[in-house]
Amino acid sequence: MLLWVIYDISDDKIRSKVSKTCLNYGLYRVQKSVFLGDVNSNALDELKIILEDTINLDIDSIYVFPMSKDELNKAGLIGQAFDKELVSDEIVSKFF
Amino acid sequence: MLFSFNNIILSVLIGGDTIKLIINTPGTYISKSGTRFKLKNGENVQEIPAKKVEQILITCPSSISTEAISLAVEENIDLVLLKMNGKPVGRFWHSKHGSISTIRKKQLLLSENELGLTLVKEWISKKIENQTDFLKIIAMNRRDERRDLINESILKMDERKNKLNSLTFEQNIDEIRNTIQGYEGYSSRLYFEMISKSLPEKYQFNKRSRNPAEDYFNCMLNYGYGILYSQIERSCIISGLDPYIGILHVDNYNRKAFTFDLIEKYRIYIDKIIFKMFSTKKIKDNFFEEIEGGFYLAKDGKQALISEYNLLIESKEKYRGKNMEIQNIIQLECHNIANRILNG
Repeated sequence: MLLWVIYDISDDKIRSKVSKTCLNYGLYRVQKSVFLGDVNSNALDELKIILEDTINLDIDSIYVFPMSKDELNKAGLIGQAFDKELVSDEIVSKFF
Repeated sequence: MLFSFNNIILSVLIGGDTIKLIINTPGTYISKSGTRFKLKNGENVQEIPAKKVEQILITCPSSISTEAISLAVEENIDLVLLKMNGKPVGRFWHSKHGSISTIRKKQLLLSENELGLTLVKEWISKKIENQTDFLKIIAMNRRDERRDLINESILKMDERKNKLNSLTFEQNIDEIRNTIQGYEGYSSRLYFEMISKSLPEKYQFNKRSRNPAEDYFNCMLNYGYGILYSQIERSCIISGLDPYIGILHVDNYNRKAFTFDLIEKYRIYIDKIIFKMFSTKKIKDNFFEEIEGGFYLAKDGKQALISEYNLLIESKEKYRGKNMEIQNIIQLECHNIANRILNG
């Protein structure tokens, strides 16, 4: 499933920890505090637990939204949009 | 479908979950950052999360940090180094994988017992059958004198297959090794002769050549077999078979190699994709680099071939009533062989 992670975190250290965790789980940075990517349900559970342990539950907030690929295709992307195929993992081989 | 993103060519297929990472820009540095692989080449930097990677193929001179190697091993990612001609040099693998000693012991006995011959007969006759089936498809689209030539060859190859199947076990495979390889070699020669005749004139070739390949077709074929070899070796290791205890074929150092025995029945996949590339004009001159006495596959050529290969092994085929990905069929068949050896 596709997963959106959106956060609002005031502490620099915690914020960078959260963004690195998102990258490690294969999410792509769509905007400064918005991540999107294809994960399975196990990874979603893991990610939620790690994020919960990282942030300060009294001041910070993180939204984690799952979305289906059909719904992503219906969504409107305006202006500098990201690569839909890249975030939804439709790639078999990658050359570097 | 191919499209370009950040100067890197990505090949795209709907529905894949993990990617195969192929390093083919010389001088790439692979390091670790968090649980991501960081690829660097001059200004070009990319990070790829290890969770999304299934295999890393390094096909050109590059460097890799030990941290990146352990990340690959920990995440169970197959890390393979390939030579310029596509032959795998070696791979890093989790030490918990490996041959189970009982399978290994029984595998050593294969060249002396009947099961060994049965397996070899099965694989080689399947190979010849694949070849004749493919030639039949080719013959259907050729309405000139080549059709008769091909049909004639098919008859001769069938005859060899029947002879092979009627071989009986006496004492040791060593005694009939030459006979088996004779049948196999003869039908392969006929097969490639017919394949060559069916290609556009520019690409026709005289014979199979390796180290170096003397023509474009052989060059592609050698690289393709190299990648396939790596796939078969991996499936052997996963199913507990020792890739180096073979029955019939011997490798460069005169060791019998199981992978060489087993690869025979799968070669047809490579033949088919390469034949298709040549006959549908997908081959360009810049795919090849001329070297003394032959050709090497250049970066663009490798890229084109590996893309086709990956699309193929992730495509589905009917197997025992189920639709399965070709790579999973190969894996399943290796497990079946391991079980037969264990119980045989």
